[in-house]
Amino acid sequence: MDGVLIPTLVSGLLLGSLYALMASGLSLIWTTLGVFNFAHGALMTLGAYIAWTVSEQLGLGLAAGFVAGIGAAVIAGVLIELLLVRPFYGNRNMMLITVMTTLAASTILERGISMIWGPRLKQLPRTLDGQVNLLGAPVSAHEALIIVLAPAVLLALWWYTGRTLSGRSLRAVGQNRSAAALLGIDVPRTFSLAFGLSAALAGLTGVLLGSIRFVTPGLGADPLVNAMIVVIFGGLGSLGATAGAAYVIGLLEALLVLWLGLYWTPSVLFVALILVLVFRPNGLFGKAA
Amino acid sequence: MTRNRSLFALAALVLLALVPAVVTDSYTRHIFIIAFIYGTVAVNWDLSLGLAGLFNFGHLAFFGIGVYTAAILTTALDLSPWLAIPAGGLTAALAALLIALPVARLQGIYVVLVTFAFGQLCMQVVLSQGDLTGGAEGLVRLPYLRIGDYSFIRDFRFGYYYVALGLLTVSVVALLLLARSPFGKSLRAVRDNPDYATARGISVARQRVLVLCASAVFTGIAGGFYAIYLRVASPEVFGFSVATLILSMVLIGGAGSILGPVFAALALTFATEAMAGIRGLEEARFIVVAVAMILVLRIAPAGAIDIFGRLLAPRRKS
Repeated sequence: MDGVLIPTLVSGLLLGSLYALMASGLSLIWTTLGVFNFAHGALMTLGAYIAWTVSEQLGLGLAAGFVAGIGAAVIAGVLIELLLVRPFYGNRNMMLITVMTTLAASTILERGISMIWGPRLKQLPRTLDGQVNLLGAPVSAHEALIIVLAPAVLLALWWYTGRTLSGRSLRAVGQNRSAAALLGIDVPRTFSLAFGLSAALAGLTGVLLGSIRFVTPGLGADPLVNAMIVVIFGGLGSLGATAGAAYVIGLLEALLVLWLGLYWTPSVLFVALILVLVFRPNGLFGKAA
Repeated sequence: MTRNRSLFALAALVLLALVPAVVTDSYTRHIFIIAFIYGTVAVNWDLSLGLAGLFNFGHLAFFGIGVYTAAILTTALDLSPWLAIPAGGLTAALAALLIALPVARLQGIYVVLVTFAFGQLCMQVVLSQGDLTGGAEGLVRLPYLRIGDYSFIRDFRFGYYYVALGLLTVSVVALLLLARSPFGKSLRAVRDNPDYATARGISVARQRVLVLCASAVFTGIAGGFYAIYLRVASPEVFGFSVATLILSMVLIGGAGSILGPVFAALALTFATEAMAGIRGLEEARFIVVAVAMILVLRIAPAGAIDIFGRLLAPRRKS
């Protein structure tokens, strides 16, 4: 057991980092707009494909790929907000309607991607070559970078939303839209900002994931479900709770894979989730909505 | 429902029952059969989503459970398809009971997330239990539906056509009766004003459990029939595409109207099949459906049929 426990924990950390990057993007939009973006996974996929095109097909290098992938995701995210979310502000059923429109957006993106790039598998190069030792377990440098990068990004996000004027305007709008408008905050611009930031996180996660897994049109679909489990578990309310839940789920998933194998892990995770919800309907760390 | 509309629905049913006399090629009949199956799934989704206002996004999981129940019972246990199809309704209702336990107490977005995740989980279970479900390849060569020596595939799918139409009719009539019953009224009360409904002694949680189970029964049976009719069960039934297609039927037909989604199912199945025949549109047709769904939500939230209603309304007054 000792020999496998450390690598398992490291792989749990890696999963947790990826989930935290995704789920924090979902949580950011939710706390600002009260919208759950089902196209988040498709934005990840888009980022990975654009990065592949720029870095491999055009041969401009991975750094350019990163910028282009994240940029494309941001543009798509802002467009989604503009075309599919903004028209429904103030609608009584806004939350439900935007679930459907973003779901449609994810179909459009996913099918569009598969029409443009075809079904052939693609893979992005790793950001860093070689291996490093993490707690005595050998990990590829790329994965180690993700494990280090995720908390740094989360910390930056926490600093941004808590300490800067434009970041705090996001929270102000989320807490009380009319009061925020009275204070002179440009509310529609803040909504675009939230969507753009969240899409940037999605794009980043997609590009990072694209060199661990094959890039396929469904790249983002699987992680999205896990990120959903994370946000149900942690509650959508705060960045800290979401990030905490991401690491809990990541580690739990890695341990379950070790104990029960790959096949039963999703089911056991889901049953655990149901149990949590039966006793705590607002999530493990959540407060009443 | 007004008398006009029930007469209209009855006329449509008579027309559909007469279709096989006119349409004799098996491809067109095939599209009708698929449309009847999708229509059954769509009206039952309308029961939970439209009528009861429950944000259920895992409805296709009930369909998929029906598909796999019939497929596994007929292949692994050699059960007759006549028993395997209704068994799909039973297992789907049991699954609905399981998912209703947490959903009964959840609010808003969490209902969406849990039901959605449930659908995805079903797909993962099917993919991972390859010994029983055939994994990604699915189960193939399921037995035909037959009475004695007569196979329902014969005479250009004559038998399947009427079984599918019968299933849709029974399901729609059951839902219409249910919608007019005190239970149906209590569902609408819970949807429109949950606090007032609670104050009048309606248990929101209990109605949610009941409506989920009720909507799963015919959906599961439709799934069982779908598997036996196509003779395959594949994990795609749990995927995004089918769910988006059927959701668009509910929305374009008008959520909460029961009859609307039936007509939308017929129209959309024919439209998407026609597009599938055009080169280059095989993938694009899903994009077209998604865009249509967004436009309907934007322009006519009560469904496309409502547009015609609104166009006719002023004339009636004058």
